[in-house]
Amino acid sequence: MNPTTRRSVLRGALAAAATPLLAGCVTAGGGDQGPALRGQVTKDNPLGVALDAPLEVVIFKGAYGDQYALDAERAYNQRHPQAKINHQAIQKVGEALQPRFVADTPPDVVDNTGAGALDLPTLVKANQVSDLSELLDSPSLHDPSVRVRDTLLPGVVDDGTFNGRPRALNLVYTAWGVWYSRTLFAERGWSYPKTWDEMLTLCGEIKKSGIAPWTHQGKYPDYVGDLLVSMAFKAGGNDLLVAVDNLEPNAWKHEAMINAATAFAELVGRGYVMPGSEGLSHTEAQAAWSQGKAAFLPSGSWLESEQKGVTPENFQMVMMPPPQLSTSDKMPAAAVRAGGAQSFIVPEKARNRQGGMDFLRTLFAVPQARRFAELASALPSVKGATEGLRLSSGVDSVRNAVNAAGDNAFRYRFRTWYGTLKKSWDDATGELFTGRLTPQQWADRVQRAADAVARDPNITKYRR
Amino acid sequence: MKHGKYRFLAMAILPALALHVIFVLSPYAQAFYLSLTDWTGVAGQANFVGLDNFARLGEDPLFLSALGNNALMLIVVPLATIAIALFLASMLNLGGRRGRAEVQGVAGGKVYKIVYFFPQLLSVPIIAVLWQFVYSPNNGLLNGFLSAVGLDGLARTWLADGSVALWAVMAVMVWSAVGFYVVLFSAAMDSIPRELFEAARLDGAGRLATFRSITLPLVRDNVNAAFVYLGIAALDGFALVQILSVGPGGPDGATEVIGLGLYRNAFSFGQFGYASAMGVALFFLTLTLAVIAMRSGRRTKVEMA
Amino acid sequence: MRRLGDGAIHLFMAAWAVMVAFPLVWAVLSSLKTDQQILTSPWSLPDRPHLENWARAWEQASIGKYFLNSLVVVGGALVLTMLLGSLVAYALARYSFPGNRFLYYLFVSGMLFPMFLALVPLFFVVKQLGLLGSYPGLILVYTAYALPFTVFFLTGFFRTLPNEVAESAALDGCSHSGIFFRVMLPMARPGLISVGIFNFLGLWNQYLLPLVLNPDPANYVLAQGLAALSVSQGYRGDFSGLFAGLTIAMLPVLVVYLVFQRRIRSGLTAGAVR
Repeated sequence: MNPTTRRSVLRGALAAAATPLLAGCVTAGGGDQGPALRGQVTKDNPLGVALDAPLEVVIFKGAYGDQYALDAERAYNQRHPQAKINHQAIQKVGEALQPRFVADTPPDVVDNTGAGALDLPTLVKANQVSDLSELLDSPSLHDPSVRVRDTLLPGVVDDGTFNGRPRALNLVYTAWGVWYSRTLFAERGWSYPKTWDEMLTLCGEIKKSGIAPWTHQGKYPDYVGDLLVSMAFKAGGNDLLVAVDNLEPNAWKHEAMINAATAFAELVGRGYVMPGSEGLSHTEAQAAWSQGKAAFLPSGSWLESEQKGVTPENFQMVMMPPPQLSTSDKMPAAAVRAGGAQSFIVPEKARNRQGGMDFLRTLFAVPQARRFAELASALPSVKGATEGLRLSSGVDSVRNAVNAAGDNAFRYRFRTWYGTLKKSWDDATGELFTGRLTPQQWADRVQRAADAVARDPNITKYRR
Repeated sequence: MKHGKYRFLAMAILPALALHVIFVLSPYAQAFYLSLTDWTGVAGQANFVGLDNFARLGEDPLFLSALGNNALMLIVVPLATIAIALFLASMLNLGGRRGRAEVQGVAGGKVYKIVYFFPQLLSVPIIAVLWQFVYSPNNGLLNGFLSAVGLDGLARTWLADGSVALWAVMAVMVWSAVGFYVVLFSAAMDSIPRELFEAARLDGAGRLATFRSITLPLVRDNVNAAFVYLGIAALDGFALVQILSVGPGGPDGATEVIGLGLYRNAFSFGQFGYASAMGVALFFLTLTLAVIAMRSGRRTKVEMA
Repeated sequence: MRRLGDGAIHLFMAAWAVMVAFPLVWAVLSSLKTDQQILTSPWSLPDRPHLENWARAWEQASIGKYFLNSLVVVGGALVLTMLLGSLVAYALARYSFPGNRFLYYLFVSGMLFPMFLALVPLFFVVKQLGLLGSYPGLILVYTAYALPFTVFFLTGFFRTLPNEVAESAALDGCSHSGIFFRVMLPMARPGLISVGIFNFLGLWNQYLLPLVLNPDPANYVLAQGLAALSVSQGYRGDFSGLFAGLTIAMLPVLVVYLVFQRRIRSGLTAGAVR
């Protein structure tokens, strides 16, 4: 081979290398998917789905499995028999879908859930998720006289709303609170306390009986952190909650916040928390609780299905709202944090956007939601979906708590909106629960983090 | 022969180079570019922000504590691993009971060599899950062992105590790495002529003296290479910390490593540009380390025209 | 004094062996217990071997099928990596030409950057080439990411090989590629074996690359199947299933090691890195 050929070989190799380099740039924009498909809007097809458009559904396959989604897809196919459905059940939603969002070739509907889910505020900021108003204002499938929006439980729409636009719809209705075994409490003659003073008294009694009053999932400090701020919001009322979400100055230093932090610091200080809890993963802490080593445990309504394999028979787990800090709390004792989880989104650039929304219309109609409740033993976000269903102890207690709270169900958004604030809040809460931070120091630290977010021009702010 | 040489070189190098440029360098080059932007990681648009991301690194307390932690790991993990591995390897080869002058490995050395290599067969997530059970505060193996031998006072919540959490993580790294270097070092020691040791023994040198004057100089090359590998591993630590530590990265940043902050910013905070800047910083750190280590351990190169 | 020293040495060596072996034995035992037993008495023996855990893991994680997928992808990548890597390393180690050092550092720099930052751009590159979700695509990418270490390791190795044999082969009229394939490669066998083992372990456990580049569950490799299993473990507390899956995935590697351990270790001897 003479030098000339050698050079041309080299040049050829370089050209081959450069082609994907240039064409494959992530910021070059994609858009080879063509415009969104639309069909005729009719009474039976209010969202104007293109009848023969294929539909790609991505489901997070975690605690609830994916059978409910397969069933909903079958129901969708019955209405749109020409549609070819591509069902994908995966675990790491974020890593798997991120490049497809960047390439503007996302699936048509995504269950954005699980440890590896995509950060929703980031997607919203980048305008990658559809405004779901069109879906929410369409007639519901099971009762065309009611709009989808009005078939949902309180707070469900709110929970997926960013600056006034609904961007995500949560399938599971979740409430967060304090769990205990009804059997154990009946045996010992204990009853769930309404105020924190009663809680401390009862904890003394529990400790004497040889059981640790509390344990928690210390490896992930937001379990106790959520309980702490919920108690503060019950004491300080909705104004405090809004102030925290809106990053207002000194919101975290509010008296109610300090009191709630002090209440938990006292729990730790008096030795009412099982030793070592600060190092336990959720599975470990929950297992200790299921074995009766501790009486109380903070968690959300998914706890029962998570514990299915390790709960003793006749354990009868129930969830209650956190106690009031005092009788002068602004919210009643029944007030509970409740809202949606398991977020479904329809990507803005989805080829079959209308189909994606219509799939959600199918899934959020009573028959499919009810099917979900049966399969997953969880409460769906759809009104009346569990009527007449025999529920397990835990799900039943969550439903009762939600009903009892009524309009006093509340939800806060700072932890979803501002990832960096959540991280600082987590770290500070972990330190509070090991006694390495005082309540005042805890409040100061979280406030500093909130102020930093408020100042940071790179972070999109949301208000409520 | 001259042309034949270049034709052979082209054939030898170009296919691999093409793969390397297309699949490794071009994505990395893009990541370098992205470190100069505010890219979110979920859409095709990004704005050029110059060196802003790098300026922010200096003010990020988590990044700074990650730097400190990685620096400590960079010192402790290679030193501890190499020290233990050297000790075990020399005992395997030369630690046996001796008569007048013969030198041999300890009894059961073959079994040890097999067993020590086990952790090398496990992937990091598996190792992390196993050690979570070891460190578990209440019925974990470590605390259980301590109380069984009457040392209850030493038992603690290993991963949730800021003063020991990082050491607990480093112990896992050492645990998983030692076996490989035992095998590596003992292989090198095998090739040292026995007579050298026997002569030393006859001169009345003790084990330590023999080790210092004969063994160590002759396995120095391997030790240098081990420092490079272990150093790169210590600068990473991401997968282990993410699964094992409280938080993860806690308590309160005690086990934060650069890789973890990078992952968090890229995938949880929607700041892929900033995360890329961390990656670039990590790249130059590792590069510096590798160059220093390779320079100090360089041998003369044998070349053929 | 000397006796005491001997005793202490034996104790330390045995203790290290126990420390290393115990977690493995424990994982295998746990795969034979119920979830209840794992959590309530983690250090006891199983009451009876609960083989249903294994059946569940096998079925759920489709381990058998993923195992074959892994074998195809890792096997293909391994052969390609060894071939291309040894060619480059040989060229860089034993020929002087302009740009030699530059190329060496170009390859080696691939070891220094966190892989997940490259994932998204990489996805586009692979997609552009039409290789997404295909075995050839995975094999090429696996190879590309195994090359830096392979080149680093083998370059050092080829430098240590003696010159005389190659020189006399050249005098006998052997071509450059003839010298490489017929003389140098056989001489380098020990080094090839050790780097091959490194690469096998690394590629076998590779998770990030297939996650992004191999999205179809039907084509999953073993690491993806195991990840699915460990995620569902976290949501359902199915520890026994997880340990069964881990054991199933671990055992073949362990068996291979036990069978070949002598050769593997002698490979390391020769490859003793410089």
